[in-house]
Amino acid sequence: MDIKLWTLHLLKVLFPPQVLLPDIVAIDIGLTVATIVIGAYLTKTRKWGWLWHEWLTTVDHKKIGIMYLIAALIMLFRGGVDALMIRSQLIAPNAHFMGAQQYDEVFTTHGTVMIFFMAMPMIFALFNATIPLMIGARDVAFPRLNAISFWLFAFGAILLNISFSIGGSPSAGWMSYPPYSELLYNPGVGENYFLLSLQIAGIGTIATGINFLVTILRMRAPGMSLSKMPIFVWASLITSSLVLFAFPPLTVALGLTMLDRVFGASFFTLGHQGMPMMYVNLFWIFGHPEVYILVMPAFGVFSEVVPTFSRKALFGYEAMVGSLLAISFLSYGTWVHHFFEMGAGPTVNVFFGLSTMLIAIPTGVKMFNWIFTMWGGRIRLTVPMLWQLAFIPTFVVGGATGIMLAAVPGDYQYHNSYFLIAHFHNVILGGTVFGVLSGMYYWWPKMFGWNLNQRQGTWAFALFVGGFWLTFMPQYFLGFEGMTRRMATYPAGLGWTALNVWSTVGAFVMGAGFVVMVYNILWSRMHPDWDTTGDPWDGRTLEWSLPSPAPEYNFARIPVVRSRDEWWSMKQEGRTDEVKTSEATVRPIHMPRNTPMPIMLAAAFFVGAIGLIFGWFWMAILGGVGVVAALAYGSFADYSEIEIDAKKVLKTEAQLGRVES
Amino acid sequence: MDHEDRQPHRIPTGHGDEVELAIFSPKMHQTHFPSLQITGYLLSIILTLLAFGMVAYHWMPMASLIPVILILAFIQAGLQLGIFMHLREGRGTTWQIPVLALAVSIGLGIVGFSIWIMMFKSGVS
Repeated sequence: MDIKLWTLHLLKVLFPPQVLLPDIVAIDIGLTVATIVIGAYLTKTRKWGWLWHEWLTTVDHKKIGIMYLIAALIMLFRGGVDALMIRSQLIAPNAHFMGAQQYDEVFTTHGTVMIFFMAMPMIFALFNATIPLMIGARDVAFPRLNAISFWLFAFGAILLNISFSIGGSPSAGWMSYPPYSELLYNPGVGENYFLLSLQIAGIGTIATGINFLVTILRMRAPGMSLSKMPIFVWASLITSSLVLFAFPPLTVALGLTMLDRVFGASFFTLGHQGMPMMYVNLFWIFGHPEVYILVMPAFGVFSEVVPTFSRKALFGYEAMVGSLLAISFLSYGTWVHHFFEMGAGPTVNVFFGLSTMLIAIPTGVKMFNWIFTMWGGRIRLTVPMLWQLAFIPTFVVGGATGIMLAAVPGDYQYHNSYFLIAHFHNVILGGTVFGVLSGMYYWWPKMFGWNLNQRQGTWAFALFVGGFWLTFMPQYFLGFEGMTRRMATYPAGLGWTALNVWSTVGAFVMGAGFVVMVYNILWSRMHPDWDTTGDPWDGRTLEWSLPSPAPEYNFARIPVVRSRDEWWSMKQEGRTDEVKTSEATVRPIHMPRNTPMPIMLAAAFFVGAIGLIFGWFWMAILGGVGVVAALAYGSFADYSEIEIDAKKVLKTEAQLGRVES
Repeated sequence: MDHEDRQPHRIPTGHGDEVELAIFSPKMHQTHFPSLQITGYLLSIILTLLAFGMVAYHWMPMASLIPVILILAFIQAGLQLGIFMHLREGRGTTWQIPVLALAVSIGLGIVGFSIWIMMFKSGVS
């Protein structure tokens, strides 16, 4: 009897009414079937060992980059479906596609997934796939820590994504402002999922920031001074330093909110002299640098793509680096522009309004640099270049509307309206997403060894960008007409209907663009156009001096860098034999060894997080013990290196045609 | 011509004089018991518990609470930097000063600006 009651109680906690909606149950069934099918396939083809040895325990930055990319594309799909659900709800007045609670959950998940589990891993995918290759290194500085970062991100993402079928999704928006995220007003486990999943993924993100800072500062090939680094490497270096300084305030804000919700503290509560506005302040101390963390790598990608496809060196390298540094510095002094209406007073608001407008100057410098690089160049309209060309007008519109929002009196009019929604989608989609997709198409052959079909890629691009403009331009006008963000539905007769219809149509066109992109990837995999040269774009930087994909040790012989676009100079000066090795010069190579410790550590974090989310403290303690055990295993029993002997290196290089006779 | 080109004897050849992975060269094989680190770890825990207790169990009046916690925080930061963050190691100390100054200025900036923002000297709210 007791057990029966206990089971019933457990079922009620795990499956509250909000997760028993028919669409969610259908998705649960679909996911279960998919898991069984994948499991059966892996068992039948005996691929569990392959999966474990080649992927789950790998510390190879190239494989980790690929895993980040796959995870990011899956999350882009998930966040995109959320977006389509939101737009379906809003296509007509008084629509009841979803209830208000589910609508709240969907827009919360859309924002959280897109920022933390799509954009961030997409950026780290590009970092991992390219940075060591661009600076002439054999791996990142801390390969095992890199795997730990990935698995913490992955388990954080899993945690957020299971919330909608077990326990209930978070519903307080992607910023999770108190008091709405307070236990009193938002009971249930949804918010706990939000807090713990971001906390776990955030630890991984900070570790990635440290890892790439050290990698770039310490492991560049001989001769590559700071002023000879490719701009993407500069952008990554600066992004990493932003991560290092921006994520701790988020950690604090999430941690204190967790103490409020799980342990009954009152840092941000309305009662007991809590200060909800301090959460807002802390969140945006993180949140504003975060948007630059998202966009700087895109700037870096464009600074590689534009010179390659214009056949010209980048215009104004020093100005580019200087403006990146200026943006990173200024980005720490603007966070109040996210909450001018909180009432901090005119002096504070004016200070932060002006500092925000200042950022437009270095960003404008970069725009002109890209345009002047193209000026007089021989432009090839490849897919990465198309994304870059679409980025310029999109980002300029986003930047200009950003200046409008930075003007304090104006912001009092259109804050939290659809004007804001359109603005930040303009900069985050038009900046970050166009940037990472450009980078994905650009480095795809380097990551996988085969090219993506250009024609399909162009179609995906056209649909996506066309749909983008159709979705978000009407939203500026919706904002002017008074439609506020996060409205679950709206009455007829306000003049909003036609604009909303266009916006929804645009969203579905973007969805079609994504489908074509996935088709493009699958088709190109099944009809591979192998990249045998290693340099399909006639590139300029060191990653193109390697075969595609690069062997596990990257460089048999570490290149000596003499100029900024070193591979380009090698080609121009006929020095390409410098990347080849020979029997006399080949040396054994030390490489880090695969280890199961990262995935064990992340799994322990996951167990502990589940314990905290549901308030099962025995399980939280179990997870904590698991974390300590994984760390102890990593410190005392994990052998960290192997040696690839010279003969094997020579054989691999010979197969790739890279041995000097 | 680049600066390095004029000094050809300084250019590494890439034949066996590569930069190794950082994880393979640190000196991690120490023979003595890490008593300093363990002391630092225990001290950090004690300092944290002290600060927590002072707030949670009202061991001190409000007026003296904040300065005492700040003092504890600075002692804690000193312990972390000195024992775990390699600040006392000779190599590269001069490079650590600007980085540390940046960290301190960002930290103090966040605190200072937050206090300024949270004073709410508003005429319009």
